[in-house]
Amino acid sequence: MFSYIMRRLGYMVITMVIISVLGYIIIELPPGSYVDAEISRLRQQGGNLAPEQIAALYQRYGLDKPEYVRFGLWVSGFVRGDFGQSFQYSMPVSDLIFGRLGLTLLFSFLSLILSWGIAIFVGVYSATHRYTVSDYVITILQFVGLAVPNFLLALVLMVFAQNVFKMQVGGLFSAEYVNAPFSVGKFLDLLNHMWIPIIVIGASNTAWLSRVMRANLLDVLNMQYVQTARAKGLKESVVTWKHAFRNAVHPLIMVLGGSLPGIISGETIVAIVLNLPTTGPLYFNALLQKDMYLAGAFLIFLALALLIGNLGADILLAWVDPRIRYE
Amino acid sequence: MSETIGSPTTTTTTSAEIILRIKDLHTYFYTDIGISKALNGVTFDIPSRKVLGIVGESGCGKSVTALSCMRLLPRSAKIPKGEITFFRHKKNGNGSAAPVEEVDLLKLDTMSQEIRNIRGAELAMIFQEPMSSLNPSYTIGDQIGEAIILHQNVDKAEAENRTIKILDQVGMSNPKAMVKRFPHELSGGMRQRAMIAMGLSCNPSVLFADEPTTALDVTTEAQILDLMRDLQAQLGMTIVFITHNLGVVAQMCDSVAVMYLGRIVEQASIEPIFYNPKHPYTKALLNSIPHAGSREHKRLLPIRGVVPDPYSSIKGCPFHPRCNSFMPGKCDVNVPATVTVDNGHTVRCFLYSDEVEQQ
Ligand SMILES: Nc1ncnc2c1ncn2[C@@H]1O[C@H](COP(=O)(O)OP(=O)(O)OP(=O)(O)O)[C@@H](O)[C@H]1O
Ligand SMILES: [Mg+2]
Repeated sequence: MFSYIMRRLGYMVITMVIISVLGYIIIELPPGSYVDAEISRLRQQGGNLAPEQIAALYQRYGLDKPEYVRFGLWVSGFVRGDFGQSFQYSMPVSDLIFGRLGLTLLFSFLSLILSWGIAIFVGVYSATHRYTVSDYVITILQFVGLAVPNFLLALVLMVFAQNVFKMQVGGLFSAEYVNAPFSVGKFLDLLNHMWIPIIVIGASNTAWLSRVMRANLLDVLNMQYVQTARAKGLKESVVTWKHAFRNAVHPLIMVLGGSLPGIISGETIVAIVLNLPTTGPLYFNALLQKDMYLAGAFLIFLALALLIGNLGADILLAWVDPRIRYE
Repeated sequence: MSETIGSPTTTTTTSAEIILRIKDLHTYFYTDIGISKALNGVTFDIPSRKVLGIVGESGCGKSVTALSCMRLLPRSAKIPKGEITFFRHKKNGNGSAAPVEEVDLLKLDTMSQEIRNIRGAELAMIFQEPMSSLNPSYTIGDQIGEAIILHQNVDKAEAENRTIKILDQVGMSNPKAMVKRFPHELSGGMRQRAMIAMGLSCNPSVLFADEPTTALDVTTEAQILDLMRDLQAQLGMTIVFITHNLGVVAQMCDSVAVMYLGRIVEQASIEPIFYNPKHPYTKALLNSIPHAGSREHKRLLPIRGVVPDPYSSIKGCPFHPRCNSFMPGKCDVNVPATVTVDNGHTVRCFLYSDEVEQQ
């Protein structure tokens, strides 16, 4: 088990290196840098920039050095927690990101847990109650959940919450709490603002995961060893959860590893619609504005999230399935 | 127990030699493409403490018969008609004149506590494929111990001790290490031994062995068959041995029931079946296998035609379209009844009696 994890960690480091190179190339690919855009903006405003000023701008952002040096500087900065300077905001990327990153992770994590829990329960229920009315109802809901785009769901829920529950939606806190010190009231207010984004972020994921869960459990329930378990005289609940579920959960775990980045980018749209101070909108703008250090840092974090998710999934999978553990 | 009306159990002291009585059992599968009539009136007794073979071509309903007794049929299956009586011997220490309780298995709900108490503890079953019959996620020890903990009220440590003992009994080398192994670490023969150990773990009265050796090579098959025979003699249990291999039947069984298309067409002890078969289907089956040791090289005769699909129903004797002794106007009109031709030898064929089955 230990060597298994070490090997996975090794793969992770290699992948991370490749991704950072690719990321850097992609970011550098579009012609023109943020500085060029800035210079032409200043020129348009009529200001006449001296060559020294331009050179100073270039130097300030390190654009005068060759590519590989800039790449080396960029990458080595990560280790020290230095992600470079945001052109747009003229402040260190790390200062910009970290506050929002916590919130993004909180949202992603909560909706992941929620969608997983619901998906497992719903999937197992509909597989063990196949072709009953409740199974059909669940199937319809699943397809609705898959078909409705996130932003639409966000808008619908917003209108719903506003008109039916008379709630203030959007943002993280109600007006009276925004600047208040932390208290129970503020916490409840936060929860009140969080459920819509969590539902929206998790909805399609839940629908999809529960479909996968149902299909797999149906397959496994047809296996001979499930029949063996019944032939021992075990209760149907033990047969389902101990013998069938454990062998049906693999794809769900694999999906779990890959779903973190999807949830983070899904969160972007929701955060824009609901005006949440998470990383999503910032990333989106950074890409639009060619704010390369900011965008690069996001890319790296997304990749890291994907890899950590995959590592977690691999470990979980090995724990669930002895055939993987001992390979 | 009780004299309550409608209760599935009554207590009697008769039928000591019979452990299971199956009467006019009909099992149908309701599928998308129609009703598959898998069993159409299976009637036979399973003698106690003996090995009974059930033979017949693929699809004739051997597995469905066993699964019907275990009440392990899938949800698409229904039993519209029939009776399965289990003569349950109370397990009391001295063994002498223990009262026999009659349990009507078909009256029990498939999910009920009663049937779950019987499954594994009194009626056990091992399946066709040793490769897929064990759960890949749990150790052998866990899977065998589970049944012991469930039925014998012991703790984990004691269950493991007993598991080790049983694994030793079924001829597993190093049983102490074996309990910690996962199924994928075992060979096919070892897995089938583990399955047998699981089947025997709670000392059942009846063990249904559904083609337990078809997936194994010939040497391993011989070892497993020897083992089962030894254990049967040692433990005095009943084995219902399902196979389509008549050679295996000759080696293993005390008596045989021959099935064709969801019915028992002939039942007798080993010798009469092999040396004096009555039913044309039994004769055809015997002609289709090579006789080991026979000097002359007789041509093997495959049975002509194929087993009709169970979705269509055939008028008259179901075997008549393939039968060499087909009597027009008789075999294609009525279904022959089961008649006794000799002591303990029953057959369903108009060659031996004109008696017609009452519908
Ligand atoms: N789950 C099912 N759904 C529909 N039909 C079934 C099902 N299980 C069995 N049957 C039908 O019941 C009939 C008897 O099947 P069974 O499995 O008992 O045959 P068998 O004698 O055990 O054959 P084999 O030697 O191939 O194992 C077959 O015609 C089969 O098509
Ligand atoms: Mg079968």
